[in-house]
Parts: sequence; structure tokens; C-alpha cells
Amino acid sequence: MTLTRWLSRRDPRYIRSLVYMLQASEYDIAHFWRWHERTNDFSAVEKRKKLVFTPKAIALLAIGWLTVPLVIFLSGIAITHHVFPWNYVVALILILELPLFVLFDILVTLALLRLIQAPVEYVLKSRAKQTLASHKAVKIAIAGSFGKTSMREILKTVLSEGKKLAAPGGSQNTPLGIAKFVSTLKGDEDVLIFELGEYYPGDVSKLCKIVRPTIGIITGVNEAHLEKFKTLERTAATIFELADYLNGETVYVNGENDISRGEARESHVLYSREGAASWKVSNPHTGLDGTSFVLTRGDVRIEAHSKLLGLHHIGPLAAAADIASRLGLAPQEVQAGISKTHAFDHRLEPETEGAGVTTLDDSYNGNPDGVKAVIEFLATLKGRRIYVTPGLVEMGARKEEVHKEIGRQLAQAGIEKVILIRNSVTPFIERGLKESGYKGELIWFDEGLAAYKALPQMTVKGDIVLLQNDWPDQYF
Amino acid sequence: MKAIAVIFGGRSAEHDVSIITAHIPIIDTLLSCEKFDVWPVYITKEGDWYSDKAMNELAYFKKPGWEERLKGLKKVDLSFDDGLTLKWPGMFGKSQKIDVVFPSLHGTYGEDGSLMGLLRMANVPFVGCDIFGSAVAMDKVLTKQVIAAEGMPVVPYVWFLKSDWEKEKTNILESIKKLQWPLFVKPVHLGSSIGMAKVKNDAELENAIEVALHYDNKVLVEEGIEPLIEITLPIMGNDEVRTANCERPLNKTEFFNFSDKYLSGGKKGGGKGANSEYSEIPADIGEELTREFKELGTKVYKALDLSGIARVDFLMHAGTKKIYVNEVNTLPGSLYHHNWKKAGVSNMDLVLGLVKLAEERFEKQKNTTFAFQSDILQKVGGSKTQH
Repeated sequence: MTLTRWLSRRDPRYIRSLVYMLQASEYDIAHFWRWHERTNDFSAVEKRKKLVFTPKAIALLAIGWLTVPLVIFLSGIAITHHVFPWNYVVALILILELPLFVLFDILVTLALLRLIQAPVEYVLKSRAKQTLASHKAVKIAIAGSFGKTSMREILKTVLSEGKKLAAPGGSQNTPLGIAKFVSTLKGDEDVLIFELGEYYPGDVSKLCKIVRPTIGIITGVNEAHLEKFKTLERTAATIFELADYLNGETVYVNGENDISRGEARESHVLYSREGAASWKVSNPHTGLDGTSFVLTRGDVRIEAHSKLLGLHHIGPLAAAADIASRLGLAPQEVQAGISKTHAFDHRLEPETEGAGVTTLDDSYNGNPDGVKAVIEFLATLKGRRIYVTPGLVEMGARKEEVHKEIGRQLAQAGIEKVILIRNSVTPFIERGLKESGYKGELIWFDEGLAAYKALPQMTVKGDIVLLQNDWPDQYF
Repeated sequence: MKAIAVIFGGRSAEHDVSIITAHIPIIDTLLSCEKFDVWPVYITKEGDWYSDKAMNELAYFKKPGWEERLKGLKKVDLSFDDGLTLKWPGMFGKSQKIDVVFPSLHGTYGEDGSLMGLLRMANVPFVGCDIFGSAVAMDKVLTKQVIAAEGMPVVPYVWFLKSDWEKEKTNILESIKKLQWPLFVKPVHLGSSIGMAKVKNDAELENAIEVALHYDNKVLVEEGIEPLIEITLPIMGNDEVRTANCERPLNKTEFFNFSDKYLSGGKKGGGKGANSEYSEIPADIGEELTREFKELGTKVYKALDLSGIARVDFLMHAGTKKIYVNEVNTLPGSLYHHNWKKAGVSNMDLVLGLVKLAEERFEKQKNTTFAFQSDILQKVGGSKTQH
């Protein structure tokens, strides 16, 4: 235990830091605890985000703060009521270990809140289940280790051309999140799209029972959340719970991901940059202004152009086109829908600023398949390319291999500058770079934020900067 | 982490410009790369030295009353014991060893070689040109003399000292009148167009000379080229040099005066330092002329024994395309980073590149023998006692 840690736990900010981190780790106690044991300075943990004052957070803050006068009061009692000299020792321990009591009280309160929340959530969930059971809309469910949000956004944009559509926003992919979303439905929607979050085995199956999807999409299986699943087999099994539920119904599977292609059954529809179902893709092009390709099925021909960057988007776009035509959209509507698809928040979102430097913000992309696709895209671009990353989190036992592979891919793509943020995983990227005889410049920074701040000094007109994955505060 | 001292301000007419250069891009870049412990060293117009980390922010020099607050600080002392050390005296005094120095002084007592002499004595690596090139480049007449002696073209000129002017005004005016008008009158040691004037008749000439002599005791009168195309070329390197783009300053008015170069450009440029708003980069002069300027610039750089970074200014007759070397600036304002950027050199590449060049030159100098054993002392004393 360092002095900084000891002192910062006695900083008034400690209480807020605890609540912030509980919130940031979605009240996952195990995750929170690992962070707590690892952290050295509790006085400055809100670097990327700030505490959101939800009722839960306010309650926990209040308990934390109430503990302080309570413990001081108890130590006062100890001094006046106990036998000399132990009364002073007890009082001193109480005061010195005040942070421990604060932490204990906050965690106990959290447990109590869960007990109260459970029946409320149960009611919400069963109400959602009933609503969805009687809702006439086509329900599309998306499961996968990566690319769920991209798929959802593509479907939303394309299908909106002819259908009334609703989908939960952000990351409302847990039973409670979905239940809350269902309570906002009007009942006249034609299509509902759901992302199914997977954290533990059985999660996807549970969500299927609430959602009752009629169409399923499996975007792929990889090392995301491997720390929780331990093995890729368990991850695959959990994600394919969607296919199990939809036995005999329509399931689309990403054919570009090795694991999901391997797990796909004969009845499943594979989609890839080659096409989806009977749609064939030809003449694909990609660049900073978007991606173009031609979709053909028999006599039907769609000249598609999307503002999404990279050939890896063609597969999901083709799947969306197939679903759209299945739901009765005309080819013109499909074409118009695809033309409206564009990069969304922090997912390969391009921005060219006044100085002529193009930044590709891919800070929400933290999975190996996404990284591979992005490096593949970068390789096609002209101009000096600068790749900034702190590496990926939650890669479990595959940590070393995944990161070495990123290094190898960067070297092969001939990326001119690689900026790595010093942590436990980036040395593996360095090793991968070296193994592949990387010829560019490797630059190290201690802090991601410092690297971002230095970028204007490191770039000139025409440079392309890729910001790959930004670690949330709870991973530091 | 290496400690680097950025020295700026100084007893010079370009004191304020120096503060800008020091921060944009030097200190900003050094701080952002996280590789250096950056010590800003500020020299007042009176010549007092101060160093405080708060000066790493340009805002420090913009806050009302900063000069008053400065007087509350302890002045910093320099120690030359095996390298350069900054020392703050007093009971709780401290010291800071400096590994490398980045001089950011424009004009007198800095860019003219004075500071370089000091740093050579201190035996510390420093960025930019060494004492000899700096001293020559600071004197526009000496520069022309060296350039001309090396067979490179310069425009015809006349030069004189203040004392000459006082004694032989008529003779000087006679020789000036042999030049082709219009003429340019320049104080020999000043940069940033301070005290310079373009004159078209006798009355203007004498007046301009009086003004120039107010700033300097050596004055240069040279032929003006008309129609004129100005070209300026930043160069960096030691033995191997790299040129930036040929840049053509586009004058808003007939002559480029101080406020045009720094003030209005600065305002428009939003803190970009030098006059990037009024330039054409690269100059639209065709490949062949561009190559010619670059070759000539490189030749000038070598002839003056420059190293680190410099900027060579040229004049070209727009009609005949005849080129003249005009002058050399050994610390271009804000390192001309706007131009380097367009040549594909980022601030980081530029600033860290210059630090590297400084260290390389220092290592090389270490291998040069500056002292040798002699018995001359013994002989002097010995011969006397023997006889």
C-alpha cells in the first residue's frame, strides 16, 4: 500500500470516486472490487466521464457521507464509555479506518437496493414480456461479440425507408433496459430491433424469452468479454442461444467471422462482402468518402453507396437489404436506405478539421475483428497514417495473441506511425510490430489523453489519424 | 527525462516575437511529447534572467500585471560547472541541471551569436546555428560580403557606420546615388523589418538613414528590385540539409512592415506566430526556379556554416527571373512551422528533429581537438633565467 493510496482514501473525493466507479462498472461488484484494489490514487478517477446523479448514485453518495459523522460519533462514544487505555485505541482505529466503513456502508446499501429493486424489475419485465407477446411487429434480435450496434443502426436506417420502426438506443441490451424501452412503445410499430447483450451463459436465451424474435442476426464471435466467459466456446454457445431459440426460423450469420461461420447451421443465411442470401455483391470500393458496391439478384440491380467506411460494412448492408426486401421494401427504397447509412458515434467516424488532418474516431471499437477491419481499411488509404491505441480490454487468456496480431497487422499495412499508450497489453503490440519488421515510427505515451492532446503537434495536412478504442476509466 | 531549457525574451527589438516563438511551437511541442522536463528561461528587456514553470504557458505573458509579478520572483543564476545548471539562490534555493538548450531569441543578444558563445562556454548542447554563422547572419553587410565572395549573387549596395555618416555624409550620398532607385535603407543588425524603409527620392533617403541610424550604428543601402518577387526558404540540418517549401510572402501594402508581418498576421492567424496568412506556399514559380532556389539556399547554408535551422531570403526580378540572395535569418519566427507543416514536417518532427541535430553537433564537437600540449610556457620562463 502506498502513501498516495492511503492518503487519497482519506480525501473527501474518495466517496464520490467510489460511487462513480460503481456506476461506470454498471454496479458489477467484482469488477469494481478489482479496480478498487488496483487503484493508487482515488482523488482523480473521473477522467473520461463524470458521475451522473441518478437516484441510485445519490442514495449511495448520501450513505457514504452519512457514515462520516456516524463513525466520528461512535469514536466519541468509545472515548467516553470504554475502559482506559483501550477506549483511545478503538477511537483511533475508528477514525483512521473511516474509509473502510464508508466502503462497507456503500456496498451494503447497494445490496439492499438490489433486494428492493428485484420485485420492481420483475414486474417491469413481465409487463414487457406481455406487451411484446401481443405486439404484431416483426421482431429482429441481434446477438454477437461485436458489431451489434452497427448492425442495429444499419437496419434502422435501411428499414425506416418503408417501415415504422423502433429500437432501444444506446446500450439498452439487458432485460431491464429492454423492459424500459418496451414501456415506451405505441403499439403501431412494424418492426422492432433488439440488441441482445451477453455477459454470462444463458443471458441471450433469457432475452429471447422476453423479446420473442422472429428474425435473428449473429454478428460474430470473438474475444470480447472473454474475461467473463473464459473460453471462446462458451462465448459462442451463449451467442448461438439466439439460433437455438429461433430453431427453424430465419437466422443471419456473419460469414466473415471464422467462429460464427463454423457454428452456422445449414438453414442459416450467411452474409459477407460477397453478398447475402441470393443477393450478390460486385464492384466494391471504399475510401474516406464512403463505400460503394452493386447488389444484384436476378434482374434486380441496386447501385449502393453508403457513407460507412470500409469493405467490412458491405456484409451487414447486404443482410439489411435482404431483410428489407423480405419485409416488402422496393429496390429503390433499399438503395435510398443504404445511401443514408453513415458512421455513428465514435465508430470509424471521419472528421477533417481546418488544418486538413482527417481523424477517424473509432474509440468505441474495442474488439479484434473490428480492429482488423479498420487496419484493412487504413491500408487502402493514401496519406500518412497515424494509429493511436491503448490496446483492447477483457481479452482474458488471449490477451497476448490478440495484441501481437494487431502489431503484425499494423506492420503489414505499412502504417507510418503507431502511438501506443503504456499499459499491460501494448508491449504485445510492440512485439507484434517488431516480429513483422515494422519500418514506421513507434511512439509511446503514458496517458491516452496526453497522446490525444499531442496529436495537433504531430500531424500535418493530409494525415489520417485513427483513434482506436479508448479505455473507460474503470480499466485504469 | 531530459531537462531542456528554452531561452526567450531578451534585450532585443524582437523581444515579444521571441516569446511567441518560444511557446508556439517550441514549448507547446516539447511539453506535449512527454519526453522532456521543460524549463522556460525568460530574459527581460533589461537583461534579467528568470525561470519558472508557470512561464511554460503563453498566457503568463498576457495576464495584466505580469511584469510586476515577475519582479517578485527570484532571478535565476547560471553555473557552468560541467554543463549548464540553473540556480535559484536563497535559503531554500534549488538548482536544475540542463541537458540541452533551445535558444528562442530573435535579434540582438541572442540570435546574433552572443547566447551561443555563452552556451559553448557552458559546454551544453544547444539547438540552432552556432556562434559563427549566427554572428555573420546577424550582420546583413557581412552576410552579403561572404555570399558575394563565394560567387553568389547579391544586389548592389553601400554600407557605412554612424561615425562615417557624421563625417563623410556627402561622399556616402554620392556613392549611394550611383545605385539604381528605388532604394532600401536598413539597419544592419535588425530583423522583422524594424527601422527599414523603401525610398524614392533624396529627401526620403536622408530621412530613412536618420531613422535607421537611430536603431543601429551600421546602415545598409541597397538597390530595390522592381518588379519584385520575394522568396523565403526555411532549411534545417547539419551536414545533411532538408529544405521546406519556397514561400512567397504576399504583401498587402507596398512594403512589408513590422505590424504587417507580426501583428495583423498574428491576429488573423489566431496564434499561429509568423505571417502564414499572407504567404503563398509553395510559391507558384515552377519546378525549375524552385529547384534553383533550393540549391542556392543550400549553398548559402553551407557557406555561412549554419546548422540546426535557418531561413534564407531571396529577391527575384519578376521579369528577368534573376535571383539574388538577400539575407539569412538563423531563428525564423515560430521556426516557420506553418511552412514546414506544408512540407510534411509536423511540429513534433521539427522541434524534436532540431533537438536531435543539436545533440549530434555537440557529440561531433566533442571529438574535435581544441587544446594541445605545448612547452611554450616553459620556454618563456626558462629562456629568461638561463640568460
